[in-house]
Amino acid sequence: MMKKPKSEPEKRSGSLNISGWRQFKAILRKDIVIELRTKEMITSMGLYALLVLVIYYIALSNAGSSFETQRIAAGLLFLAIVFTSMLGLNRSLVHEVDQGCLEALLLSPIDRPIIFFGKAVGNLIFLLIVEVFVTPLFYFIFLSSAKMQNSGPVWMVALALVVGSIGIAGVGTLLATMSVNTKGKDFMLSVMFIPIMFPLLLAVVAAASQAIMGDPGYVKVFWQMIAAAIAYDALMIGASFALYEFILEA
Amino acid sequence: MKKQIKTAVILMLVGGLLTAAAFLMAFYTAEVQTFGTVNLTKAQAAASNTVFEVAPANLQPIDGTINYLRPWLSQKIFYFHVPLAEASFLIFTVAAFFAIMFLSKRRKSFDTKSRIAMEVAFLFVIATMITGDLWTRASWGMWWDWDPRLTTYLIMMLLMLVYFVLRNSIEDEERRAMYASVFCIIAWIDAPISFFITRIIPSQHPVVFNSGMASSNLVPFIVAQVGMIMIGYAIYTLRVGEEQSRERLEIIKEAIEN
Repeated sequence: MMKKPKSEPEKRSGSLNISGWRQFKAILRKDIVIELRTKEMITSMGLYALLVLVIYYIALSNAGSSFETQRIAAGLLFLAIVFTSMLGLNRSLVHEVDQGCLEALLLSPIDRPIIFFGKAVGNLIFLLIVEVFVTPLFYFIFLSSAKMQNSGPVWMVALALVVGSIGIAGVGTLLATMSVNTKGKDFMLSVMFIPIMFPLLLAVVAAASQAIMGDPGYVKVFWQMIAAAIAYDALMIGASFALYEFILEA
Repeated sequence: MKKQIKTAVILMLVGGLLTAAAFLMAFYTAEVQTFGTVNLTKAQAAASNTVFEVAPANLQPIDGTINYLRPWLSQKIFYFHVPLAEASFLIFTVAAFFAIMFLSKRRKSFDTKSRIAMEVAFLFVIATMITGDLWTRASWGMWWDWDPRLTTYLIMMLLMLVYFVLRNSIEDEERRAMYASVFCIIAWIDAPISFFITRIIPSQHPVVFNSGMASSNLVPFIVAQVGMIMIGYAIYTLRVGEEQSRERLEIIKEAIEN
């Protein structure tokens, strides 16, 4: 059973001369073209993130003027991204299953790992686009009046966001593919997603928090946390990459 | 089959005896920490609503914090808590091993074994949590603390819980086994993180084998550990036997119906 999916595509891709890179590009282009036509993912994720920010305002509305928002800003930012990404991940796989696209992908002579990377990179791109809109908005709403003289350069927060998003998109793609085939669907996704992502989120929130607050010696802690997050990303994406084949097969 | 149950019962009894013996042994051989104290600031003491007695004046520090007397029995929970925790990591690893075996061999029995190992591991994790909570209350003066070890262990417990939720939400048997195995392997990654985190990040939770444990404490600890693993193995074999007989019963039922 293990050998079948490997040998067949190799043979065919040899005869048709389709490299893995082109297969990957084809899957990615399919997702982007669908998105350009419907604009569904970006609008729904963006709107959802906006609403989360409004909810934050409700949560902080009675905190008083002495409350320093930058102390919890990184956590709030990543929370918005986690919720938004769960919505996006679920949608991206529900589409595949509803319209029979996943079956077609499985029938086509494409290597399973390439399907994983195609979907994961697609999800990552959409997530990053939403972040590009949401993060400045978040700064504008919550941090424009905060004391930010000491805080680190903006690219530090951006790096933490990118490292976090890579992990979210990579592992999230695997978990979303699992959850669309269960009874609970989006419920199962969130239930699996949050504990699995916990160490990564803790590390990236710590990194971003250090950059925003800029306490003495923050650069060292920032890089330690980024290194931990990258290690977790590599480990988890490696595992997801190896296990995706089994999920598709079942 | 009968022999299997017999050995399991014997193992269970011996394991129980060993853990009980280790607990009693600890009173005779190990250093009894009668005069341990808990150091709390005034704010902490107020927040945790501590019930400990204030330590005598000669044991009070000068920096304004207050030392409370640690309940003298509290250290003894070590001989339950640590063996339970170590055994839970071990059994979780066994579950992940069977999950890998299932994915490579595709035999249903491996999935069953993985699931049952997961059940036993979950039982041990719950027991570790309960004993740990009692201990943190006794020696840190609070029920729960977001300490790195405690946090990652809680996440491990949640992951195990999710594993069973995942199993219940899939009807197709083959798919259930496959997804559960994949999830088990991914979830297992948290186990080494939880195990090694106290060695990397400074945390309130002690690292047992680095803290210079007295050899008089080590002997009862090892006895308790062996006993705990025996109990775990006994529960595991009993459950596997039960599961196998249930499967056989299903086959017989089907044969009769047809």
